Amino acid sequence: MIISIKGHGEYMKLSEAITGNYYKVVEILHSDLVGKRMNALGLTSKTSIYIFHKKRNGTMIIKVRGTRLAIGKPIADGILVKEILHEEN
Amino acid sequence: MKKINVLVVGNPNCGKTTLFNALTGSKLKVANWPGVTVEKKEATIPYEDYELTLIDTPGIYSLTSYSIEEKVTRKALIEDEIDVVLNILDASSLERNLYLTLQLLEFGKPVVIALNMMDIISEQGMEIDLHRLPELLSNMPVVPVSATKKHGIDILLHAIVHHYEEQNSEISFHYSKDIEACIDKIEVMMSAHYPEHDFRRWHAIKLLEGDEDVSEEHPIPVHKTIPHSYETKMIEEKYQYIEMIVKEVLFHKERKSVITDHVDRFLTGTITGPLAFLAILCFVFLLTFSVGDFVKQGFEIVIEQFSNSVGFLLDAMHVHVLVKSLVVDGIIAGVGGILTFLPNIIILFIALAILEDSGYMSRVAYVMDAIMGKVGLSGKAFLPMILGFGCSVPAIMATRTLEQERDRKRTMFITPFMSCSAKLPIYVLFADMFFGKFATIAAFSMYVMGVLIAILVAFITHKCSKDKSINCLLIELPEYKKPNVRSIRIYVWGKVKDYLIKAGTTIFLASIIIWGVLNLGPSGFVDNPRDSFGAMIGHFMVPILKPAGLGMWEIGVALISGLSAKEVVVSSLHVLLSSGAQSEMAKTSIIMEAIQTNIPGFNWLNALSFMAFSLLYVPCAATVATIQKESKSWKFTAFVVLFQLGLAYLVSVLIYQLGSLIF
Repeated sequence: MIISIKGHGEYMKLSEAITGNYYKVVEILHSDLVGKRMNALGLTSKTSIYIFHKKRNGTMIIKVRGTRLAIGKPIADGILVKEILHEEN
Repeated sequence: MKKINVLVVGNPNCGKTTLFNALTGSKLKVANWPGVTVEKKEATIPYEDYELTLIDTPGIYSLTSYSIEEKVTRKALIEDEIDVVLNILDASSLERNLYLTLQLLEFGKPVVIALNMMDIISEQGMEIDLHRLPELLSNMPVVPVSATKKHGIDILLHAIVHHYEEQNSEISFHYSKDIEACIDKIEVMMSAHYPEHDFRRWHAIKLLEGDEDVSEEHPIPVHKTIPHSYETKMIEEKYQYIEMIVKEVLFHKERKSVITDHVDRFLTGTITGPLAFLAILCFVFLLTFSVGDFVKQGFEIVIEQFSNSVGFLLDAMHVHVLVKSLVVDGIIAGVGGILTFLPNIIILFIALAILEDSGYMSRVAYVMDAIMGKVGLSGKAFLPMILGFGCSVPAIMATRTLEQERDRKRTMFITPFMSCSAKLPIYVLFADMFFGKFATIAAFSMYVMGVLIAILVAFITHKCSKDKSINCLLIELPEYKKPNVRSIRIYVWGKVKDYLIKAGTTIFLASIIIWGVLNLGPSGFVDNPRDSFGAMIGHFMVPILKPAGLGMWEIGVALISGLSAKEVVVSSLHVLLSSGAQSEMAKTSIIMEAIQTNIPGFNWLNALSFMAFSLLYVPCAATVATIQKESKSWKFTAFVVLFQLGLAYLVSVLIYQLGSLIF
C-alpha cells in the first residue's frame, strides 16, 4: 500500500518493501525501547536501507550504514520508508 | 609503579573478546558485575613503568540505559575509577561503531581508539585515512590493530599510557545551536544543584535526552525550561556528524562485503538456508557422537584401569573393605562416569565456538525465526534446544545468548526435554529387551517425543503467559570471518574447567550419597542392597509407580539414582538385578527375567512407559545445578523440577493406562 502525504511524497511500510530495492526512512513509528534500539543501530530518519533478503513471514535482512540487521515483521511494520533508486548519503 | 585502570568498551562482534585476550593472555579474573549475571573479566598486565588493569565490558551499541549491558558499562564509567577508556571499533563497520565512540567522547574521559579488523578492510579493497580520523574525534589516538593476528598490540598499550599522561579531553563534536544552548542551560542548573559533580556536560546531555536513570538520580526540573525531548534529534545529529566523518576518511566504500553477501545468499536463502542449517546440525551431531564416542571409549578404558589400580592399591594397603567400596564403587564410579562424557562435551563446545566465532550463529536465529515465532520464542532460542541432544548442561548455559530473561527461562524450561546422550543407554537397554525388531524405532521415537513435548510445553506456556509482548527479532548479522583458534581455545577451556569443577564437587558428593544409600541400612553396612535404605525408599515408591506399570522397588531406586546422572539408571539396574552374570548378553536377559518375575506381564507398554518417564523426569543433578546457576533462582529451579516430575508421571501413566485399554 502506497500512501501519499503532503511534504513526504509517497511512502510505505518497510515490511512491504521488496528484496533488492533501496529505500529511505521517512519516519520511525516505534516510540518505545525498540525504537531506541533501532536508533542506536543506526536506523534514523533519512537513513538509506537496502533489502538483502525477505522471508515469507516478513522477517527480513536489511543493510543499514554498512551493517546487516535481521528484523522481524512487527519491527518493519513500524518503519515508514520511500523507495529510492540507489543508496544516498 | 603507576596504576592505570582501563575500561574496554565496544560494540558486539567488534572483536573485543579476541583483542582483550590478545592484550592480556590468559591472566583473566572472571567474576560477575555487582547485582547482575553479566560476566566481568579483569586482567592486570605490566607495561613499561605502569601497571595496567584492563576491565572488559559487555558488547553494547550505545550508552543509553535500556539494557543490563549498557547499565553495567555506564555504571563502571561513572563509579569505578577509570583512567582511560579503550574503545574498540570494527573498522569494517565504521559508521555504526562510531556512534558509541561519539557517546564515549561526550563523557569527557580520555579515550583511546583501537581500530580492529583492519585486515578485512584491506581485503575488501577499502582504505581509512588514519590522519584525518583522529582530527575529527577530539584528537584521540587511533591505533590500527588486528586482534586475531596480534598486530598493533604494543602500539596500543603505548597509546594508552601516553594518552593517560596527557589527559586530553577536548570536544570536537558539537550539536546544533539550539541543542547546545539547552545543554548550557542544564549545565548551569547542574552546577547550582551539584557543585561537586564531575562529567557535567555528559549529565546535561543525558538529562536533555530524558535518560531515565540520570533523571531519577538528578531530579532537576529540566523540562520546565526545555519543553520537549531532543533525544531523536540528538541521535540524528550524531549520525549526521558520523556520515561526514565516514565521507572524509573511508575510501572505496562501495566494494564492501562481497564475500559475506555471497555466503549469505546461500546460508540465509529461503530454501537453501534451512537445508544448510540442517546439514550443519547433522555434521555437528555426527562429530559429537561418532568422534566423541570413539574418544569416550578410550576414556572409559583409562578410567576402568585407574579404578582397578586404585582397588589393588587399597587392597595392598589393607584398608577396610568399606573404604575401598566407597572409593571404587562410589566415588570413582560416579565421578569417572561423568568424566567419560568430557570428549563429547569438548567437541560440542568446539563446534559451538566455531559457529559463534565465524558469525553463523546469528543467521540461525534468522533461519529459524518463523518456526520459533509460533511458540512465542525468537529464532535464537532454537540453538540451546539443539545442543540439548548432546548434553543439557552446555545447552542450559547456551541460553545466555538470549537477551531477554523471560526467553532465557522458557528455553531453560524446555531444553531438558531433549534427549541427551545419557538417556540413550536407557532407551537401548529397554528397547532391546522388549521391542525386538522394532528396537531402533522405539529408541528413536523418544527423540521425537522429546522435541514434540518441548514445543508443546513452549506453546502452552506462551498461551498462558500474561506477557503477550511480541518477541521480535532484532539482531545484527556480522561479517563472516575465520574463527580465531586462541579465542576458541580460551572459550572451550573455560567450559571444560567448569565441567571438571562440577565433577569434583557436585558429582563427587552425589556419588558418595548414592553409594551410602545403597550400602547402608538400619543395621549399618549391608552386604545385600535389598536391606539398604535405598531399598526402603524403593519400596515406598512401589505404589506410586504402579499406575505407570512400573511398581517394582528396583525401578524406583534406579530412577532415584538417575537424578545424579541419567546413565546411572542403567548402571543401577545392572547392580541391583544382574549380579552374578558372566557376560553382557547374559546380564540383559537376567534383568529382563527379574523384571518379569516382579511384574508379571511386563511388556513393551511398560517399557515405553519407563522410557518416557526417563526422558521427561527431572534432569540430572548437574543440569539442575546449572539451571539454578543460570537462572539465579531457587524458586524457578524448584518449579522446573516439580513440573518435570509431574509431567513425566502423567505421561507414563497415560501411556500405560490408555495402552492397556487399547491393547
